[in-house]
Order: sequence, then C-alpha cells, then structure tokens
Amino acid sequence: MGRTVRRKEDARLVTGRGRFVSDLNLAGMKHVAFLRSTYGHARITSISIEEAESAPYVQGVFTGEHPAFAGVALRARSGLETYVETAQPILAQDKVRFAGEAVAAVVADDRYLAEDAAELVVVDYDPLPTTVSAWAAQDAPWPGHMTPVHAEAPDNVLLRRTFQAGDVEAGLVAATVVVEQELFTNRHAANPIECRAGVAWWDGDRLTFWSGTQVPHLLRNCIADLLGLREGSVRVVAPDVGGGFGVKAVVYPEDVALCLIALRLPGIPVKWVEDRVEHLQAATHAREHRYRLRAGFSDGGQLLALDADVTCNVGAYSVYPWTAGIEPLMAGGLLSGPYRLGNYRCSVRGVVSNTTPSGPYRGVARPATVFAMESVLDEAARLLGISSVEIRRRNLIGPDDIPYRMPSGLVDDSGWYGECLERVLEQIAPSEVKAEQERRRTSGENPIGLGIACYNELTGLGRAASAGPRMPFRTGHEACTVRVNPDGCVTVLSGVCSQGQALETTMAQVVSDALGVDYDDVDVRIGDTAESLWGFGAFSSRQGIIGGGAAHEAAIVVRQKVIDLAAELFEANPDDLRVEAGEVRVAGQETPLCRLEEVARVAYLESHRLPESFEPGLEATRFYDPIRGAFAAGAQAAVIEIDRATGEIDILKWACVEDTGTVINPGVVQGQVAGAIAQGIGGSLLEKLEYDDAGNLITGTLMDYLMPSSADVPDISIGHVSHPANNPLGVRGVGEGGTLGPYAVLAGAVGDALGVRIDHLPLTPNDIWSVLK
Amino acid sequence: MRVELTVNGGLMTVDVEARRTLVDVLRDDLNLTGTHAGCEHGVCGACTVIIEGEVVRACLMFAVQADGARITTVEGLAGDDGTMHPLQEAFCAHSGLQCGFCTPGMLLSALVLLGRERHPSRERIREELSGNLCRCTGYMAIVDAVEAASRGPGDLPVPHQQST
Amino acid sequence: MKPAPFEYVRPDSIAEVLDHLASAEGAAKILAGGQSLIPLLSLRLARPEMLVDVNRIPNLSTIRASNGAVRVGALVRHSQLVSQDQHPLLAAAARWIGHAAIRTRGTVGGSLAHADPAAELPVVAVTLDATVHIAGRSAERSSPASQFFIGSLETNLADDEMITAVDFPWPARWGFAELARRHGDFGVVTVAAAEVAGRWRVAVGGVGPTPLRCPAAEHLLDQGARLSEVAAAAAAAVEPSSDVHGSGEYKRAMTEVLTARALAGQGLA
Repeated sequence: MGRTVRRKEDARLVTGRGRFVSDLNLAGMKHVAFLRSTYGHARITSISIEEAESAPYVQGVFTGEHPAFAGVALRARSGLETYVETAQPILAQDKVRFAGEAVAAVVADDRYLAEDAAELVVVDYDPLPTTVSAWAAQDAPWPGHMTPVHAEAPDNVLLRRTFQAGDVEAGLVAATVVVEQELFTNRHAANPIECRAGVAWWDGDRLTFWSGTQVPHLLRNCIADLLGLREGSVRVVAPDVGGGFGVKAVVYPEDVALCLIALRLPGIPVKWVEDRVEHLQAATHAREHRYRLRAGFSDGGQLLALDADVTCNVGAYSVYPWTAGIEPLMAGGLLSGPYRLGNYRCSVRGVVSNTTPSGPYRGVARPATVFAMESVLDEAARLLGISSVEIRRRNLIGPDDIPYRMPSGLVDDSGWYGECLERVLEQIAPSEVKAEQERRRTSGENPIGLGIACYNELTGLGRAASAGPRMPFRTGHEACTVRVNPDGCVTVLSGVCSQGQALETTMAQVVSDALGVDYDDVDVRIGDTAESLWGFGAFSSRQGIIGGGAAHEAAIVVRQKVIDLAAELFEANPDDLRVEAGEVRVAGQETPLCRLEEVARVAYLESHRLPESFEPGLEATRFYDPIRGAFAAGAQAAVIEIDRATGEIDILKWACVEDTGTVINPGVVQGQVAGAIAQGIGGSLLEKLEYDDAGNLITGTLMDYLMPSSADVPDISIGHVSHPANNPLGVRGVGEGGTLGPYAVLAGAVGDALGVRIDHLPLTPNDIWSVLK
Repeated sequence: MRVELTVNGGLMTVDVEARRTLVDVLRDDLNLTGTHAGCEHGVCGACTVIIEGEVVRACLMFAVQADGARITTVEGLAGDDGTMHPLQEAFCAHSGLQCGFCTPGMLLSALVLLGRERHPSRERIREELSGNLCRCTGYMAIVDAVEAASRGPGDLPVPHQQST
Repeated sequence: MKPAPFEYVRPDSIAEVLDHLASAEGAAKILAGGQSLIPLLSLRLARPEMLVDVNRIPNLSTIRASNGAVRVGALVRHSQLVSQDQHPLLAAAARWIGHAAIRTRGTVGGSLAHADPAAELPVVAVTLDATVHIAGRSAERSSPASQFFIGSLETNLADDEMITAVDFPWPARWGFAELARRHGDFGVVTVAAAEVAGRWRVAVGGVGPTPLRCPAAEHLLDQGARLSEVAAAAAAAVEPSSDVHGSGEYKRAMTEVLTARALAGQGLA
C-alpha cells in the first residue's frame, strides 16, 4: 500500500486486448436495435410490426404489448411516506413519457439490419401536453392545463421531504445579514466514452448477461426478480467497462429487455451496443436543480440559519432501483456541507417531467449543493466586508468538533477542512491574486478572479449512512474471498467492480500487504457474479473503503491460517511467525522457515500432514460494513481570467487538496481526483442537455453536447492530507470528491472577477458576456 | 464488396457491404476489437487508427474506401514478442489511462504527433490530442505520458507503415 | 447509428463520376473526405441511393499558383492546406478546421460542397471571392463563391456536377479570427478579411445561412477608416439567429470583436 505499482489492467488495455462487452462475438449471436419515441409525451395509438417481422433477416420484433413484456415493469421502491411509487415499462406501454424512450426492440442478423428493420416498425402517436421544466408548472397554478406524467402523481411530485434542525426562524431573526438567493444548475450527464452495452444468452437453463454495469450483483438480483428466475440461474458478468461515473449503476429497461428477449430466443446470444445518440437520449441525466436559499449570518460572519427549498427535475421515471429520491435526498442531507450549522430547514422535492430520467452521476447532487452553499458564503462575505477565505475559516467544522452531527443527522468524522483549505491557499496565494486583480482593474486589462470551494464528501456509506432513501435494500457491505492456491499464488474473488478505477490493482495491493505476498503473485477477479460472493458495486466512493476492508479482513484471516499451519508443521510458536513476500519467517531469523507454497501444498494436497483440527484449503471469505462511512474533506481554488470582449474563461491556476486518508495507490488516487475535477469543469463551463418545449433533446449529438477536451482542462495541482479514517485500511473514498468543487469554484471566480453573483450554470461565454455588458 | 487491407503488416481480405464503416469491419470482421467505437459521428476519437502514416477516424471512413491501404491499429504497436512500444510503456508508467476505452485512439494520435514533432510542448500536446476525448483521467496524466515518451531516449516508430 | 444501404462506386475519372451522377438522377452523393457526410449517413439524416467515391481520381490533389491566385484541387486535404506556404490565409484558416484526424481526410471540395455556414473554408472562399471550378456532363463551368453558396448546406451545384478545383485569389494582406466553444469545434462566429488587388474584403461565417460579405466594412477599410468603425460596420451587417452556442445578439457582438481581431496587426488605426 502507498505505492504506485504498475496497474494490473494496463498491459491488456494499452495493447488492445481489453475485453469490453461490445467486443464479445459469440457463435450465432444476433443484434438488437431499439426504436425510440420521437415525442416527449404522447399516447401510442397503434404500433405496426408486420413489415419488420417479415423481413428475412429479422428474428423477432417486440413491443410493450408482447406477452413477454406486458407483465414486467421497473418499480423503484422506497419506504418514505411521501414517496409516490410509479412504474417504468420495459418497452413503452400505452404512452411515451420522454423522447428516446424505447418503444420496440428488433432482433436481426447484424446491427445494420436491425436498424433497417426498426425503421419498418410504424408507431402512431397522439401527442399530449409536454412538461419539460420541473418548476415552471409547479410555480404556476396547479393542476390545470398540464397532463401529469404519471397518473399516480397528479402534481408531478414523486417525493418530498423536509430536513429540519434547531429553529430557523429564530436564527434568521438573530442574523445581521440574511442572504437570499435563487440558483439553477444545468442538466448534464456522465457520458463515459464507452456507452452502455449488453449481451444476454439463455441456454435453456441459465441466463448469462454480460453487461457494462457498475452493479453486477444488484443487477443479477433485479433481473432474477423481474424475470422470475432463481438467482442462482442468473449470472452477470461485467468485464472491462469503459467508464461509468454513476450512469451505469442503474438497472435500465434495455437491460431487462435484452434478458426477456434472450428467454424468448433460447440458445441465441442477443447483443445491444448503445450508440451515442441513444446514450444522450436514454441513459440517465443529472443535476437539473433549483435552490432557493435564505441564510442568516452574524456580524462576525457566523452562519446562524439556513432555510432552503430544493427542486430536482427527476425526469420521466423514478430511476431503478435508486428511486427519484437520489438527488433530492442527497441535496437535503448534504447541503450544509462542511460548515457548522444548528438551525436548518431544507424542503426537497423530486418532480417528474417529460425528459430523460435523472440518475446517479458522480457526486450526486453535491456539485450543485456545494455551488449553492459557497455562493451563499461568498455573498455573505461581500455584505459583511470580510474576505471569502475568512468567512470559510470561521464556519468550517474543525478537528475539535469531531464527531460532528450535521443538521441533517449525518455524522462527520473528518474535520480536516481547514487544513485542506490552507494548503490550497498556499498554492494559490490569494493576496497576490488580489494585488494582480487591482493592477488589472487600473490598467484595464482582462479581469481575473479567485474562486474557492470547501466540501465534504460522504464516502463508503455503511448500512446506517445508506438508510436515507428507505429502499428495500441497504448498500452497506461487500464480500471478498482470499484464496491461497496450492502453488502459493493468491486468487482474490472480490465483489467490487471497476470501470477504470483499477480495482484489480488496488485490491491486489491490499491483499499483498495484509497477507504478506508479492503483488505480482496476487490475481484479482472481479465483476463476475459466478465468482465473487457479493458486492453492491461501484458508487458512492465506496469500494476502496468497503471492498478494501473486506479484502483486508479476509487476507488477515488467511494469513493467520498460514501462520497457524506453519507453526504446527514446523513446531514454531505462532506468535513469532510473520508472512512476508510469500515466505513464512520467524522473528529475528534470517532464513525463512518455509515458502508459502509449502504450507499451501499441505493445505490442499497433503492432508495427511494436516494437524487434526485443520480444515483443508487455505481461503477465507469476509464481509465488511463500515456501518457509517467516512467523510473526506476537500478544498479547491482556482484563478481565472475572463476575456472581456468574448466572455471566454481561461483557467490560470487550479489547486485541490483532499483528505484521502490512507492512500492505497497514489497514482490511482491522483487520477481519480484529476478526472473528477475535469468532469466538474465540463459541467461548469460546457455541458448542458437542453430540450425544446415539445420535449425534443436539442443537444442530441456530441457536436452540441460539449465535453471538455485536453485543450479545455488545465494542469491541476493536487495535494493530499492523510488522516486515516476509522476503517480497517484507514482509507477515505476519492472517486467523487473532485467533482464537488469546480461548479462553486468557477462561479465564485467569475463572480470575484466581475463583481457579480452567478445564479446559473454552465458559465458560457455568451452568458458571461451578457453579465459584462 | 471484396476489400484488401494490410492491417498491422498482415494482408487481409474481407468481403463487406459498402455501408460498413472501417471501425466495424476492423472490430467485427477482422476481430481487431482494440479499436473502439465511442460516438460513431467523428467527435470522440476512440476509433482513431493510422492509415498511410496519417491519423484517421475509422468511424468516418467506409472499409471499402480503405481498399489497398496500410493500416496500423493499437494491436500493431507492440513488438511481435509482446514488447510494448515506448509510448505504451509511458502511458502505463504515468497513469495515462484509467478505463482504457479511449486509450487506443489516444496512443495512435499521440504517436503520429510525436512522429511530426519530436519534442512538443505540453500546450501542443493538449492541442493535438484535443480530438480524442477522455472522460476518466482529466488529461493531465496523458499529457505527462506523451511528454515523457517524447523525452525518452529511443525511437518512436509508427509500426507497419513503412513501404515494403 | 449505422448508415442505410447504398450502392458504392469508385470511378477513376471525372467523366465516370459525372455519368454515375447523371444516371442516379439526384439520388447519388459524392463521397470525398466524408467527414461531414458520413455522420449524416450514420444518423440516417442523409440516405442517398448511391455514393460516388471520388478519392481515387488522379490530379485533383495539387496546390499551385496561377495568375494571382492559388489553384487548389478538390481533393486537397485540409492537412495539406495547413502545411503549404503558397497561401497563408488558407493555411491559417485550415488550422482551425476540426482536429488532426479530420484534417487528414476532409477535402477542400467537400467542405465547399457541404456548405456548412459555420465552416472555415466557405468563409475564406467568400472573402476572397474564390472561383469554384465545376465539371458537368455537358460543359465545365466556374462559379464565383459569391454565387456558389445559396443557403445553409445549399450550393448552386447541380445533382450531376462536381467541383474539380478552386482558385483562391492571393491576398496581399489578410486576417482570420474565429471563436469556437472548444478547440476544433465549428466556429460560433468566424471572420476572414483579405486585401486582394488593392481592395479589402471581409466575410463572416456562422451568422447566417451562408458566409456573409460586409460591403460597408470593406468600403471603410478601403477608405482607411479606423478599425473600430470597420468592426462596427461588420457587426451592423449581420443578423444572426440564436442557437445552443450563442444568442443572435452575442454573435453580432462577436462579429465586431473578431473583425477587429482579424484585422489587428494590419497597420490600421
């Protein structure tokens, strides 16, 4: 641990030998294309499939009326009292609720032919009034002229909840200044370079589903349940996956459709590779929120009360299995961030609309909540005449406050926010920025600005921390099996899965250290439900903590078995024995007692040498659940220059410092933080999914949906503080934290440069130019 | 239509429909799945290959158009004995990849750049690789890797593009 | 995202191309670099019955000076434009086209025939009032760029004609400026200016269905007016509409900014 070892994944990935789902080419395989709705909201009056069905290259055409599909629907469940449960059909039934919703599926000899056949399916629609905005209709008199997206929710609200602590009104009355803001964040999406993909194959007995999923075990559980199969008859395999960032942590209608089709076509593997246009239309979106805030501060800048109203556009369906609560509940739970606050009221709601469903995307809601919170602090600082740095210093939760119970009830175990902030400021030198800013103001040169964000990232949620959405499952644990093979090499069967985070590498590092074997002798197998016992998967920055914890615990048990067996075999005192680099050693002696493989050989092949109390074999399986989780502190700051004429932003300097706890692999951690910041920069400056009033996505290709390129993301200074967390490895999650800062940083920096308040994102040159005018 | 392609030094003959893009023929007909399709409309760069010494998006070319051409894909970068190309080594050594989906295109774009400009600045690397989107790394480590390769001692050949 | 079926032909001569185009009666498309056409095919937004691949026709890939102009063959790739030194404005503009892997395939003829109002080469062609040489079955003709572009993605090319070469007049002085959301994107606004045979010409891309000449700005330039006046005149000449990358008002303002930037360093006041 703590070393940047050569990643186990790299050799195959740089030579073109990676194995992604889209690479699968099985004998007899057929190809699926989906026909998708061209309307945002419409009743389906008829679907004619005869012509497509009769094409010689077509094996099947399926619609929502097909008996295989008619009885199946996705129903994301929550025990929250205000939650309105709704159904998402696998293929549209009766009506379509967003443009891009799958209406029919066609199976053909190849993808070209499948798309040809899909064009032969004729759907007649009767358009319905379309709701695109989550707040326009909510603010207007309701109900009335609009047609609800789901009959079960006549006001389009699927969920509401109020988080409350202390006495907000009293806090606001006591305040010297009250900041009022209304802020909007932009709908955008993860857009991994590999879109979704699946291959389903029913051999008459068992269903195998290769899927580019972040949640193979959960997917298996859902598929078995939805299809009425025994869980043991379903195998989900997630091989190499080309990025996920949350969008692949959802169980999609297309996943279920492929499996249903496979059941209908025994022996024929069916493959669907999502194309980018489908991805932009039908893979989950995120982050379209509105924040209405009132925050009271004392004359010293102390945050006294926060009153918030948060609306999230959750799209057309309650995302399965996470529910429409995923963004609103996260927003309400984490809005106050790393700041001390006693008086809090936050009403959140998830509103459906005729747009693509919203789902988990790296940082879930917090890029927006951090933007909201930091905007409030910047404005308060301005009103009170104190610096934006100072107001943060005065409110940040410190080490002495730990454990700190946030007003939403979550318990912060970090407290190292101040340290992160100060370290970032060392890189940025605010006083020099200030001086340069003044100089430019006088000289008339392009303005520069400084933006700062402090954030707390709740990572590795255990069963207590993941209770919020009241889903019928709790995502607290992971399992890991560590097995020493007869040759002394180690196989790790881990429940984690990887979309680029190098889990094969980091789990091997954990086991290598805990067991005492060479990194090169550890082989990690992940992503296959037939191999590992259980894992919830990759989300909430959880796998290092939870999967790593399980791997560590299992390896420790195996190490003890090795020591106990070696002690018996060589008549040594187990307390004196250590396992190092694949050898069992006696403390203080230069020559090793034996090699690990000698012990392993006895355990498997020479049972006659096994002491009586010993079970053959040399492996252990352990579950780990941290119960709560680990907060990871972080701070970012940047200096930007604005082209006064065009409104373009040039990032001059960017620094980030996060408390990553114990670092397993510095290269991997650095990469997670850098990649997360780049996505945040994209979301702040470039990326926006836009609909017209009829519910058509008008940013439907990568010509219009702009992701940052190498020319848009600067070099970033990334630093760490390492305060071990209370889990077996002392690690804190790092997958998402970097994404939380850029929205606030860039909005703050533009605000600082121009002396304005930024109330919506992204910060396009056009918008900045409008402000400049 | 019958098409002859010299891919990574090997002559291959395939019979393909005219509408099949080069990326699909490489992947599906020739089983060279290292070349990836990320957007199929010429924006993301994941399908980048080298044809006659130049970088080309394999989703913006029909296989029939490549008839008779010399093509290098990511599978052709390492030596016959499996020895990695110095650029591949650099990507591994500098965390220049995460999920690896954009990596083949990124490697080939970078290789042609380094063939033209042996010591490009970071700025130039960023500019020239801007047609290859990566969603994982934030690019910094990729620029590190390309910069390191440009400073390495050895040659940075573009394999399988020499006239025979 | 797979193209619909089409017939593919790969003639060796211009005459054969024209025969194919004629026999297809409007249902054929010329495939040159394919960098704009193939995405449209893959999205099934274009579905020609026949593609006529002109890439192997000889003698269409040369760049040579002729009579105060530079004649550029229709199959000259953008990457060739970047590396040539006979026409600096073309080289400067071509650098802004897409990314390396687009420039190696995209052709001059293809870019003009596609007639994307935001593309770089049409703006340069209109600025210089380039002459587009066109082969047809009955006769060859040439069209001044000012008449060649008739609408967004529309030219005066008939269904059975093809571009063979383009004469770009050589400018004594020139400037080029583009504002794009990202490196390599189509310009939100693009401005090219050139002094040819003692007269200034200015055209703006991205602000209308075709690149737009700005006579008032040109006149002011010829009069030796101040740069700020020229830029304001250019902006006054355009009425851009709004889209996801910018409002009409913004594009008009950027026309002014970019005109000034294109002409900066030309020794104007």
